[in-house]
Amino acid sequence: MASDAHTAEKAHGSPYGPREYIIITLILAVVTAVEFALSYSGLATLPLATLLILLSAVKFIAVVALFMHLRFESRIFTQMFLFGFILGAAILIALIALFWTATSDAIGGDEELPPLEHHHEESRELFLDPERLV
Amino acid sequence: MAASEAAHGEHHASAGVDNRLLLMWIFLASECLFFGSLISTYLIFKGESLVRPLPEDVFDIPLTSLSTFVLLFSSFTMVLAVYGAQHARPRMMKLALLATIIAGLIFLGFQVYEFKTFGEEGLNLSTNQFGASFFVLTGFHGTHVGVGLLYLGSMLIGSMRRNGLGRDTATHVEIAGLYWHFVDIVWIVIFTVVYLIP
Repeated sequence: MASDAHTAEKAHGSPYGPREYIIITLILAVVTAVEFALSYSGLATLPLATLLILLSAVKFIAVVALFMHLRFESRIFTQMFLFGFILGAAILIALIALFWTATSDAIGGDEELPPLEHHHEESRELFLDPERLV
Repeated sequence: MAASEAAHGEHHASAGVDNRLLLMWIFLASECLFFGSLISTYLIFKGESLVRPLPEDVFDIPLTSLSTFVLLFSSFTMVLAVYGAQHARPRMMKLALLATIIAGLIFLGFQVYEFKTFGEEGLNLSTNQFGASFFVLTGFHGTHVGVGLLYLGSMLIGSMRRNGLGRDTATHVEIAGLYWHFVDIVWIVIFTVVYLIP
């Protein structure tokens, strides 16, 4: 009987039940709460961004591997998804490498923006006079 | 393996996996390219705005965090729906599907409220580069959530028919679950990259 149950579980991909899923969800919720707290921690941008990206990667992998059952499924699914994911990440890196610096130089980088109260008028002027954007 | 083959019947590909599951994974892989492009566009344009409002003027991190918890909860209920379908527990599957739909609707409600608030604060698609790239990225994600809700809704309605979702119920719900979890992982990235990283 136990063997039958085990076979059924294997056939369905995941050996986890509701109890395990509750634990995984709680862990993911705690990681999200830590991310939220970190965003108010006052850390410098680089260490903060590194930590947040790491925590986000943990959540991403946990959902894909355990909720989407990729860990327990055929390797061909993992290969297919990884192919798309790596290509997507490569596009992200390539686009940023190509355009980030170029656009910053084009508009003059860190110039201070006018206060928030005037942005409606500024926006309208820019819309009516696109040459100002060049 | 034999049990799995019997369960999936004539939908087996030569690779020994279910065609429909394989197709959904390939679709999700293509979606990685789609959202990868949108996220990089946002990152490139984020700091290039010539006029306010900027992210720090409009973002409400506690509210967005709350909506993130709601979407995370919906992933939990979705995985329970898949579990219920795979273990012949139709009542559990239907209740979990309903809970997922409700959580998804709440998430969409948060997004509509956020968009409305941003609009009132003067941020729209044509305000600046931040607004354009932000609304396109989060708007497309919201659209995916909406499509997911229609998908799950059709599953729920189908499961209430006399014959339910047919003999491949577990596979149908599992495929819908893959889509829903993907929407969740895209939000995991958006929440960090767009909202949390200064």
